[in-house]
Amino acid sequence: MSVFSQAFLVTWLTAGIRLGGPVLLAALGETFAERSGILNLGIEGILLLGALASYLTSIHTGSLWLPLFAAMLTGFAAALFLAWMYVTVRASQVVVGLVFNVLALGIAATVYRRTLAHASPGPIAMFQAVHIPWVSDLPIVGPTLFSQTLPLYLTLVLVVVAHFALFHTRFGLGLRAAGENPRAADAAGISVPRMRYLGTLISGAAAGLAGGYLVLAQIGLFRDSIVAGQGFIALGIVIFGRWSPWKAALAAMVFGTCDALQLSLQLLGTHLPEELLLSIPYVVTILAISGIFGGRDVRPAALAVPYAKEA
Amino acid sequence: MIQLSQITKRFPGIIANDAVDLTVRPGEIHALLGENGAGKSTLMQILYGFHAMDSGQILLDGQRVSITSPADAIALGIGMVHQDFMLVPTFTVAENTILGLREGTGAMLNLKRAASRIRELSEQHHLAVDPNAITGTLPVGVQQRVEILKLLYRDARVLILDEPTAVLTAPEKYRLFTVLRGLRAQGRSILIVTHKLHEIMELADRVTVMRDGRNVASVAVEDTSGPELARLMVGRDVNLSVSKLEVPPGPSILSVKRLSVRDHAGQRKLKDISLELHPHEILGIAGVDGNGQSELAQALLGLRTIEGGSILLNGRDITEARVAERRALGLAYVPADRRNVGSVADLSIADNAMLTQPRSNTRHSLFNKTLIRARAQTIITRFGVRGANDETHASKLSGGNLQKVILGREIMSAPKVLVVEQPTRGLDVGAIESIWAELLRERAKGTAILLVSAELEELLNLADRIAVMYEGRIVGVVDPASATAEQLGMMMAGTPLEPTGVSS
Repeated sequence: MSVFSQAFLVTWLTAGIRLGGPVLLAALGETFAERSGILNLGIEGILLLGALASYLTSIHTGSLWLPLFAAMLTGFAAALFLAWMYVTVRASQVVVGLVFNVLALGIAATVYRRTLAHASPGPIAMFQAVHIPWVSDLPIVGPTLFSQTLPLYLTLVLVVVAHFALFHTRFGLGLRAAGENPRAADAAGISVPRMRYLGTLISGAAAGLAGGYLVLAQIGLFRDSIVAGQGFIALGIVIFGRWSPWKAALAAMVFGTCDALQLSLQLLGTHLPEELLLSIPYVVTILAISGIFGGRDVRPAALAVPYAKEA
Repeated sequence: MIQLSQITKRFPGIIANDAVDLTVRPGEIHALLGENGAGKSTLMQILYGFHAMDSGQILLDGQRVSITSPADAIALGIGMVHQDFMLVPTFTVAENTILGLREGTGAMLNLKRAASRIRELSEQHHLAVDPNAITGTLPVGVQQRVEILKLLYRDARVLILDEPTAVLTAPEKYRLFTVLRGLRAQGRSILIVTHKLHEIMELADRVTVMRDGRNVASVAVEDTSGPELARLMVGRDVNLSVSKLEVPPGPSILSVKRLSVRDHAGQRKLKDISLELHPHEILGIAGVDGNGQSELAQALLGLRTIEGGSILLNGRDITEARVAERRALGLAYVPADRRNVGSVADLSIADNAMLTQPRSNTRHSLFNKTLIRARAQTIITRFGVRGANDETHASKLSGGNLQKVILGREIMSAPKVLVVEQPTRGLDVGAIESIWAELLRERAKGTAILLVSAELEELLNLADRIAVMYEGRIVGVVDPASATAEQLGMMMAGTPLEPTGVSS
């Protein structure tokens, strides 16, 4: 099989879009947090907790949608705590977010060992690819875009919803004002804390959902290493995507195809060491976060700056 | 009609407002006058819901109202143009205008309708502005129009303007006054916070003077005079008339030749600047903000990479010298941004006072605390820093007192050349009087002073020569004795005049 054959291209792109799904979902949520002025680094941990919650719910209920809902609820609850720290306590967002990720890893590992390590649960119910009639028969775009799972379709719908909410509603205008110039938002009669709570809660719900997505549509089991930095990659995608849902979707596809490329290259058996290939998506993320591709100029001006009203 | 009655507000350690009464009638421009720290801003922030008052009440048309947030104030028809504008730079004018409004149908934004309403309002009130422009790209004067349009869009009946002319050029100022008179004619109440006496005499109908948190007088403008208002505001007679010693200039001490500087974006900010500065001389630098004046001061101090040209201090080439070397050779600097560049907010006066020459405060390489405190004490007494001791943090000082600390520190280093940027920006007459006196005392001692200022009055009063900068060049040097404000204004707008023969 050659790298340039159509079969390879289709397999590669399909895998790319599939792998980009959960990070895109998490990135969409993070876009809301960051647009409101909150840098929620805790989404890495929330992804893990969401994955755990969905796996446990799946084992106990066998349902498909209930675990997804449980993942979202877990993310929401975790974000409520984080929002309290970020907005009410006005703690350092970077420190709280990073430490929360360590805490989440501890919680996930403990719960997993206590409840599941010695049991051997059978396979869980997973989302299967849904072929959309007619369009899935088109060459290349059919198999790559229209033969994916329901969570991916849902994520793509959310791209449109997120764009609309941010740029065409009063809520989006207020949220963006809170992240760009909180004093101006305050003077205009907008509650900055409320906007920032909402932004953080949206990012938490989306990251939780993305954790469930990972388990229920991609992996089908739980390990405490399951997230493997995808939350951080989502943070990179937000920057790469210039805090815009559309561009985040493109950035997630770039990440996904990089990831898929390293998988494909491993299968093809290149002479490159496996570790080097594995690192490709992470290197791309670091480059994106560093800002060398630009983007610093469009960063929300009050990002990660706590806001205190005057006495 | 809006009435503030017996408003009292305490902050830890001070009473910002002490039982203040203020009444503003419809169709009236009411000026609120006071020194920095007199409590004007606090009072306005209470009226706009940014601060909560400890006691007192606010009556709107005789009805008692409760204002606990800006949203409450807006709902009651009270709007405010803050000194630092409350605009989101990345938003369009239309987005900024409707930010926070609950109007129209549901949760959707209708930017098209907002834009057409803004066009209507801007035509009606002569406030030309493009609703689709990105706010951050607009000149300051236009941003202020956006702020006023925001209030008109909400149909505010009471408009509060905090130091509205601080950032405006003279023509912009007159346009603003015309707009405000038009709004008065519609029966709106306008409250303008200022410490500029001549603006009050020109624009306002009535004036309330505040001092130390109290209302010391509310009078009709026609029944008072500038000197009387100054006396009410400061609490003593103020003398701004300057008498200068005529001193023959000696040989030049600072010599700048064909200096060129670029900014971070590669834009040329200084183009072939040449000037000579002599002992016993104040060389004024005039210009509209952003025409290279700050860059010139920074380049002299070594804060900018120099692209071409040379700087000679006392015959020595310091073009490549580091900041500390330049200071050691007798250069001193009072920057325009006294809060962020001139001082460190969370350090005490004592620590701030030794920042520029830490070495001279040590014994056996360790700081000598006694010496440092004594030095701070000297500055506080000699320069009249009020309500502070050597341990007071810079952040707790008013603008005037902080400026005295900074100027005092620089003067105490016995400089040969003193570079001063906007020394009295935002200060009240009392503080201006003492800063001017200090600068003239330095001139008499023989210090050469480069004075960058946006206040023409300041330049005309203090300077021996005035160089006008436009787009990074010196477009002319004039003699203040024969120059007029109009002439300088023309040159600042880029019309070169024939030099009057005093350039060297």
